[in-house]
Order: sequence, then structure tokens, then C-alpha cells
Amino acid sequence: MKRKLTLALALLLCMSMLIGLAACGGDDPATTTDNPPTDAPPTDAPPTDAPPTDPPPSADDPPLEDVELTMASWRTDDVAAVTDLLAKYKALVPNVTITFQPVNPPDYNSTLEMQLEAGTAADLMYARSYDVGQGLFNKGYLADCTGITGLMDNFAAGNLAPWQMPDGKMFAVPFAAVSHGVYYNKDIFADKGVSVPNTWAEFIDVCKTLKDAGVTPIANGIADNWDILECFFLSMVSNYVGVGATREQYENGDKKFSDDAWVKAYTAIAEAAPYLPSGFQSVTYDDMMALFASGGAAMAVDGSWTISVYDDVPFEWGVFAVPGPNDSKNINFHPDMAIGYNNATKYPEECKAFLAWLCTQEGASTASAALPTGFFPMIDFSIQLTDPHANEFLALNSGREPDARFVWPKLMFLYGPMLDAVNGVLTGSLTPQAAADAVQTAYENPPTD
Amino acid sequence: MHPSGLYWAWYLLPALVVYLLFMAFPLLDSVRLSFFSDNTGSWEFVGISNYSKLFSNEFFEGVPYIQRYGNAIKNTCVFFCIHMLVQNVLGMLFAVILTNKRMRGRTVYQAVIFLPTTFAILVTGYLWKLLLNPIWSRGFLEGLGLGSLSQPWLGQPETALTAVSLISCWQWIGIPTMMFVAGLLNISDDLYEAAEIEGASKWSIFWRIKLPLVKPVVGMISILTFVNNFNAFDIVYATEGANGPPAYATDLLGTFFARVGILGQHPRGNADRGMGAAIATITFIFLIIGSLIVLNNTRTKEKEK
Repeated sequence: MKRKLTLALALLLCMSMLIGLAACGGDDPATTTDNPPTDAPPTDAPPTDAPPTDPPPSADDPPLEDVELTMASWRTDDVAAVTDLLAKYKALVPNVTITFQPVNPPDYNSTLEMQLEAGTAADLMYARSYDVGQGLFNKGYLADCTGITGLMDNFAAGNLAPWQMPDGKMFAVPFAAVSHGVYYNKDIFADKGVSVPNTWAEFIDVCKTLKDAGVTPIANGIADNWDILECFFLSMVSNYVGVGATREQYENGDKKFSDDAWVKAYTAIAEAAPYLPSGFQSVTYDDMMALFASGGAAMAVDGSWTISVYDDVPFEWGVFAVPGPNDSKNINFHPDMAIGYNNATKYPEECKAFLAWLCTQEGASTASAALPTGFFPMIDFSIQLTDPHANEFLALNSGREPDARFVWPKLMFLYGPMLDAVNGVLTGSLTPQAAADAVQTAYENPPTD
Repeated sequence: MHPSGLYWAWYLLPALVVYLLFMAFPLLDSVRLSFFSDNTGSWEFVGISNYSKLFSNEFFEGVPYIQRYGNAIKNTCVFFCIHMLVQNVLGMLFAVILTNKRMRGRTVYQAVIFLPTTFAILVTGYLWKLLLNPIWSRGFLEGLGLGSLSQPWLGQPETALTAVSLISCWQWIGIPTMMFVAGLLNISDDLYEAAEIEGASKWSIFWRIKLPLVKPVVGMISILTFVNNFNAFDIVYATEGANGPPAYATDLLGTFFARVGILGQHPRGNADRGMGAAIATITFIFLIIGSLIVLNNTRTKEKEK
């Protein structure tokens, strides 16, 4: 009797475990049976022509299959905005529901790649520009978007390039670009009698005047290990080193990262070190925003995506372009977001229809209106922005040559070494020449992958 | 009737299945993966090239691999030493004080010392990041006349590793304290009485009676500290980030492994998982050997007793 009871109990334990396991693994088949893949659903019709609110399909029409798509992204801040945009799309195409599923930005690339490999990735996904995106396309994860209606016609070549393969194939539809600049507190500037600087020398003068008056001039710090490079130094590099054709000379090895232009750039940023907050080694990106928003610092070198953070600050603020040496007329205008779709999706037609909608004036305007301020549409149609600060940012482009962040197009492996170099000259542990030499050494020894 | 045969095996089965499936298999599989590389898009057998690369002058993050790896090993050793010296020695001290039966409010102190252990590491990290940030702490410290203490402790390469280690000690000191308390309470009062009658000082009671009798606990604590420290990642990630800033001063084996094998360098996210598996395998073997040595030593001591 006792033995039987033991056996029964043991069996029960095993059974419950098996059930648990089955429940864990059983999710996939369950969802597939809910949505049996049927023949191509009739959603090819250009969505722009669709009436704004379709009545739900009546019983005598062939019912449109309800399709649920997911969209992966690194923009955790944009959940409300993108959900709003997707709701507007659903109003046009009622049978397609797209769910926005962003992940923590630094983890996006690795998470996405693991999901793609495991076959659990979203149907639509934000695509990184240049070599990260190209890598995913080469591995066959991102679908070819070249044929999407409107894509090749409605975007300038320069805006397509970041998501283009060397052979001209597109792996995503450009969505938004960001700009970089110096946020400045107009009230402090007026109070201390300084004006917007046009050159780096003037910028340092402004910093000195402010510091002498007891104000922390620049809010930036280095603790988070990305903003100092992406927002601050690479903005300077556009002016100190160059953009476009000059950048390509460095990419090809025709010019060296240890040349005068770079040494001058490192020397210049080192000049700014005394004007960063005292203890800037511990100042994070959030600290920087808090310092600027509280009036604790007069300037912050940051990207346009931060505009809405300062919506409610009790002072007047503006932006000016990150200054360079006298003759500088370049700006860091960075192709940031694009949306591609999964090669393995069960609903390629629905994905393509959504992306084609983003290539129309109506779709792009809706997207631009939904996105947070500071993300600029890349499509050729003229799209009005309402936020004055966003327009101020965009106005910085006029008369300047825009380019992506220097290392993005081909030299992403220099991101880390260049960040180390910048941190080194700011903390005084490296001379500008030593910093430049270290980056050149890194360039000469690319990773083998 | 006494049940005979292997009936007890049924009880083992569920745990065994979970263990094999979710622990032993992934562990062994990661050893297998360390001989593969997926950098070309598919897994390819590459022999020991991951291992030889790790110890070579091939470049990673702009410097030779061996330099980054060596730096991570060195930092982890320092991290471990600080834990042994601060966390475990203080833990013993607290335990001796807490087992003093004449002291009032013992349970309160015990709870206070144990409290940080219950915090989520991200909370600890965030809290200390703010406390040690001169931007936010300066006003308070200057008010106390301690303005010189308002330094970017977590931002200077000279102080960052010590600061992170001490934060970790602060959080986990409750564990060795509790274990030492339990060990000390097990010692029979007769021994103390006998020692007092013989005229032994407090000092020699500690060295001759308390310490030898809690030596097995010391062994266990050492192993736990050793294993946890050489796998540490979370506290650095929470206070500094996965790059081990500033200037790789807080780059431990754990963060190095995460950066190489899982996260990839921001913003590329180009993880080299075969290499990650190789780093994990070396750490794993090293931990096994280290643990066996400590375990063996404390076990024999137990038998001698």
C-alpha cells in the first residue's frame, strides 16, 4: 500500500512537470492554429486609396483575414507615439493590427539577432543603418525592400544610402533622422552677457566667461560612455576633420587618423574639459539633462531627440550648431531609424503594404506628426513640423553640409577606440597625439569577423 | 512493510530532468560551442582558435585581446581580494559582536546588516551611483564640512574598482555575517567557560576556539565569494555599465564575457558567441579547480576534528 502511494506520488510529480514543460513549449502551435496561413490576403490595394474608415467586412464579402503583426524597435521612449501611429494605420487597414514591442536600446541589436536566429523575431523591425543592418541582410534575416512602392522614388539617394547594400538593394524604409547641436539657456546667456559663439575659440571664450561668473558652462559628462562621443565629439569631427568625400579618404586609408586634423579635434575637446561639471567623470546622460533642465548648467551638447525633455523648463532656450574652426560649415545630421521586415514573416504582403504606406506623403506626414519632436522625416515631400525648437534644429542644416556620424558608414569598429581616446584626453590621461595614434593603431588592426 | 528497490529514484527524477536539461546540457553545450565560431553567419568548427585568439595579440576594441582579457583577470582578482578582506573579515567581526549575549538590540543590528542583501542589485547600483555622484552629493557633503569627499569615485580609473567592490561588499555583507553567527552559536558554551577558567583572554578565545571551530564556514564563505566574484557582472553593470568604465578599470571577467559573447560592443552589438563560450569555459574550469581546492582543505579539517 505504502509503496503504491509512493509510486503514485512520484508519477504525479513527473506528470505535473511534463505538463509544465508542455505548456511552456506549447505556445507556438497554439498561436499558429489561431491564424492558419491562407492564400495571399487582398491587401495589395495601395493603402492611400483606402477610405479612411472602412466598415468592417460584411458577411457576404470574402472576409479579410485578421492579421497580427509585431514591430521590434529600440525606441522604448516612443511607445505612445508609435502606438498612436499604428492605430491610425489600423483605421485605414482594419484587418491588420501591428503591435509595437521595443526593447532597451543598448540590447536591441543582440536581442534582435538572437530572436532572428531562433525564428521568434517580430514581423516588422527597426533597422540600424550601415553595417549592422547590412549584416542582418547578408545573413538573410532582413527582407529585400527594393520593390516597395514609392521607396526608390520618394527618397533622395543620400537618405537611402544608410540602408542600402553596395549593390543598391534596400533592406529598410528610411523613417527618421536626428540632428545634433548645443542646447543653450538663453536666460543665462542674457544674464551673463554672452552671445552664441560661431567658432570653437568663441565657444571656449563663452565657457570661460560663464565659469568666471560662477555658472557651470557645459552639462555633459562621460559616465555613460556614448553621448560624449556620439553627440559631442563626432559633431566636432564633422567640422574639424570633414564629411562625405573627406570621410571616405579616411575609410579607404588614404588619410590617417593620427594626422593634424584629428590631433586638433582632440586638442579642441580637451580644451572643453575644464568647463564640464566638476566631477564630470561621474555625470551620466540623465544627469546632463537634469543639470540643463534645472538651470544648473548653461549649455548641453546633445541630440535633437531630447527636445521634448525641455518642454516645461522655466527658461528660454535655443540651439546652435556645434562650432568648429573658422571655416567649418558641416553638421552631424544622422540617419537614425528605418523600418524593415522579417524575411521569415508569415505575412510579407501586409508588411510591405505598411512600409509602402510610409513611403507615401500621407503616411510620412502621419508618422512625422506622431513621432516625438526631434526626429525629422527623410522623405522628399515637404512636411511641416509644428514644434519651434524642432524647426530651429532643422534650420541649422541650411548652409551646412549634413553627414552621418563619422564612424557609422564604414568604421563602426572604431567606435570603442575613439570613445576611449576622447575619454582619455578629457581626463588628461592621454595627450591628443597619443589619442590619435591609438585610434590609427586600431584602424590598422580591424577585428577579424 | 519497508519499500525496497530503487523506489527513491522516482523522487530524484523531476529534479534530475530539470538539472540535466537546464543546467548540465547548456553548460556542456557551451563548452562545445567554444570550439565553434558563428562570425560568418553559420556555426563553423574552428578548433582551438577562439582560445588561441584570446591569448594572442589579435585586436579587440582597438587593443590586443590579451591586454583586455588580462586586465579583466587582474580586476577580478582585486575585486575578489577586496571582498575577502572587507566583506568576510567585517562579516566575522560583526558576527562575533552579534553573538555577544550581553549586547542589547542584537536582532535590530542583525536586521540592519542583512537588509541590503534583500535589495535588487539594480536598486543598489542606482542608489550608490547617485550617492557617489558629486553633482548630487556635493551640497550635502559640503554642509557637513566634508566637501573634499565629494569626488567622482565611480568615474576615476584609480578609485572606481575599489568603489564598486565596496558597494558590492556593502550589499552582501549580511550573508557571511549570518553564516558566521550561525557557526558561532553552534559552539558549546562549555568551551568558553573552560577557557575563562583557564584565564584565556578574549583575543585568544577568538583565535584558539572561535575561529578554528567555524573554519568549515570560512571555507564555504570563501568558495561562495570566490565563485560569485569571478562570475560577477551585475553590480558593475548597474553602477558603471557593460564596458567596465572608466577606462576599463572596472572591467571584470563577467563584463568582458558579456561584452564579447552576449551584448557586443555598443552600438554594434556584434557578439562573438564562440569566443564568449571560450571565456566562459576557462572561467568555469578555473572555478571548479579553485572550489575543489578550498573544499578539500576545509573537509579534511572537518574530519580531523
